[in-house]
Amino acid sequence: MAAVAPVVSLHEQHPDDLWNKICIAFPVIANEPLMQEYLEEQVLNVLELICQHQLSTFIEDYVVDKIQHITMQKIVPDFWSKFCKRENEMQGFESFRDAVYSVYNSLISFCPVFERLEKLRNISGIHRVVNGENTLLGTFKVIIRSSLLSQLPLNHPKITEDFYRISFKVFCNSDNYVGDQDDSPEDMVHCSGCEQEIGQCQCQSIILVFHEVNQKLIELDLLERLAGEVITSLIHLRIENHVEESCKGSFDTSHISTLEKWLDNVVMGWLRRIFNGSSENVKSEKKTEEAIKKFKQKLAHFLYETYTRTRIEQLFNIIIEYPDSQPAVEDLRICLQKTDLRPYLTQKLQRALETRLLHPGVNTPDILTAYVAAIRALRQLDSSGVLLETVTQPVRQYLRWRDDTVRCVVSSLTEEGPSELADELVRGEALQLDEGVPSDEDTENWEAWNPDPVDADPSKTSKSRRTSDIISMLVNVYGSKELFVNEYRTLLADRLLSQFSYNTEKEIRYLELLKLRFGESQLHYCEVMLKDVYDSKRINAHLDSDPNFNLDKQQFPATAMILSAQFWPPFKEETLELPSFVKEHLQTYTKAFETLKGNRTLCWKPHLGSVTLEIELKDRKLNLTVSPIHATIIWHFQSKNQWTVEELSQIMHVPSTVLRRKIAFWQSQGLLREISTDTFLLVEENPSRSKCPVPAEMVCEDEESESAMASAHDQREEELQVFWSYIVGMLTNLDSMPLERIHQMLKMFASQGPTAVECSLQELRHFLDRKVREHKLLFSGGFYRLPKP
Amino acid sequence: MKVTIKSWTGVATWRWVANDDNCGICRMAFDGCCPDCKLPGDDCPLVWGQCSHCFHIHCIMKWLNSQQVNHQCPMCRQDWKFKE
Ligand SMILES: [Zn+2]
Ligand SMILES: [Zn+2]
Ligand SMILES: [Zn+2]
Repeated sequence: MAAVAPVVSLHEQHPDDLWNKICIAFPVIANEPLMQEYLEEQVLNVLELICQHQLSTFIEDYVVDKIQHITMQKIVPDFWSKFCKRENEMQGFESFRDAVYSVYNSLISFCPVFERLEKLRNISGIHRVVNGENTLLGTFKVIIRSSLLSQLPLNHPKITEDFYRISFKVFCNSDNYVGDQDDSPEDMVHCSGCEQEIGQCQCQSIILVFHEVNQKLIELDLLERLAGEVITSLIHLRIENHVEESCKGSFDTSHISTLEKWLDNVVMGWLRRIFNGSSENVKSEKKTEEAIKKFKQKLAHFLYETYTRTRIEQLFNIIIEYPDSQPAVEDLRICLQKTDLRPYLTQKLQRALETRLLHPGVNTPDILTAYVAAIRALRQLDSSGVLLETVTQPVRQYLRWRDDTVRCVVSSLTEEGPSELADELVRGEALQLDEGVPSDEDTENWEAWNPDPVDADPSKTSKSRRTSDIISMLVNVYGSKELFVNEYRTLLADRLLSQFSYNTEKEIRYLELLKLRFGESQLHYCEVMLKDVYDSKRINAHLDSDPNFNLDKQQFPATAMILSAQFWPPFKEETLELPSFVKEHLQTYTKAFETLKGNRTLCWKPHLGSVTLEIELKDRKLNLTVSPIHATIIWHFQSKNQWTVEELSQIMHVPSTVLRRKIAFWQSQGLLREISTDTFLLVEENPSRSKCPVPAEMVCEDEESESAMASAHDQREEELQVFWSYIVGMLTNLDSMPLERIHQMLKMFASQGPTAVECSLQELRHFLDRKVREHKLLFSGGFYRLPKP
Repeated sequence: MKVTIKSWTGVATWRWVANDDNCGICRMAFDGCCPDCKLPGDDCPLVWGQCSHCFHIHCIMKWLNSQQVNHQCPMCRQDWKFKE
């Protein structure tokens, strides 16, 4: 109604008049829509009027205030109301789209108001910064953003997720489609992007909406705030799936560079298109470039972390397949430098080793093989050796508890055929034990020095970690060369006394290799043992060839292994009464030896040795090589065809339990049959057996190839028993004592004199702990005590 | 049944026929060797004196060399004479 009143005197204008005019320029004040019918010129007049009244700032604030009010009361509630109902994913998609469109439209609708306000600023020559923005459009965006976020409803991520999940699916699908054209669409009923039937595929329109919504959110500066997290988590999911796919199965290829390329091309392609809209060629704003760059850094880190985690999960298998898995180990080495996952690796791998390796179901050689593989793989992973030391600590601890560890190590060291450890031995390095002696190398290579990683055990020198080789690592499981060498000695003794071969070339070669490792003095005993075998051969030949000794006139030829008892490991004490003509024969041999060697005599170990027999039965003839006990048993069945175990035990001076085991061999040969418990009968004829050909030559493989030696473990046990009486005495007098105190007391009292036995603190602990398990000791609060009688 | 032994390989340990286990000079076992030797037996034999005491040959020789004036058995202090 406000007609075009002639402007007479602006100064005398009625305030209501002025207000009305202002309302014409800014109808929003009166809650009315912007009128376009007023000419720009008229509006300009009003703006000048405002300026003349020095009301510019006031009016601007007033209008902005009003708009803020509208935003809070209407635009924002409208926006969030779209998020309230959601029945399915597609509806969520649409709601999100509508919400973004509506808020964007509000922005557009206010644009003319801002233009006028900007004009007012120009006329009045005002420069202001409101809400941190120097343009009014900027100010408004801040208002919208802060209002939106101040009214954030709880369920908002759901709708946002709906929108982005659907579009992302379509979007990545269209991406794959370019490279994957073989996948002919005819085979598919549903589009793999939008999941609609092929005929009604909506991918095109979804992508269109996707880009439009992104564009609008970018203009509103809302993309990151509203959808950043959702987009990130969707991309993360894609990365995780992709990494998992890539790493499946094989460890023999490196994936880092392909993954990096994939990130650069595929993932970054997504990001650029999200930020820049449909066309990738649009030169984007600096601000967007920055955002993309920051995003990429985060995603690259996530990619490395995901890949590293995946490889860490697989690390046990990677180790088992080492060295075929070298590329995977190398990848992991690089990734560990880019991520912060070392502690995770340590914990995970230790756990895997414990559950898959360190339990009674796994046999010792397999544990050792895995341990050796772990040493190699982990050394590649971390050349400082710290990781290896920490991670494999439980393995070493466990191996220490296994009775047959040393034996397994020693036998695989010297076994025939390809063995990693044997190869390692041939490589021949001097043994590196943790003795902590600084060497020249520490000072010579100072330029190549690297600090130890933070998780290093400061009590170990870095050199001992770096240079110790695999055999040293295995020997260090025990911390003592002696125990190791002792076990080798027992093993060598067993081998020499089970093969009865005078051919010792191979053993001598291994001994030479071991001497390089363990030192001459440690293996001196073994040298004497091998020399015994060699000397025996000569003595036998000598005695045989001299007719004065009458050995050639005997019923059968006898030879002997003549051993230097002081240098061999202790023998298991066993008795055996041989047939008298055999005993006489051996005595003749002894006489011959005494004559030859003056002042020396022989003590026979009747149960040891090897006997070749020819057995003639009614229907067949057998040639066998057996132990003296086996030979004696079957010998007795000549004079009487039925024996009880008890009778044999009395005549042979062998315990029944041993006899039963030995008789089993003859049963398996079909020569003896148990007719009633512990009573055996000779089987002269065996119609079923006579038909199948029996090998003419046979060697009796002893049931579990028993050792003739008391094991190193047993020997040590016996030595430690010496302490037990001391310990019982101490605890009787002093009631209870901690480990260290017992150790000190033993050192003072029990370790003196010629038969002194050294015992380390650790060994003592194992010993005491076993006594606890046997209920001979109690342990609580760090103190050992005797159980109450 | 007839059992024929075609050959027999036995195991025996050798020892010196002496009236003690250890050498009175070096305290090592006779069946081992003296501290200067590596190999027992032929390489480090025993010798007997007429007093019937015996020692590693290397031990008694060292002992006798260290005695400037009279050569006595370190065990019984009688004059040392090798038993023929
Ligand atoms: Zn001596
Ligand atoms: Zn000697
Ligand atoms: Zn004497």
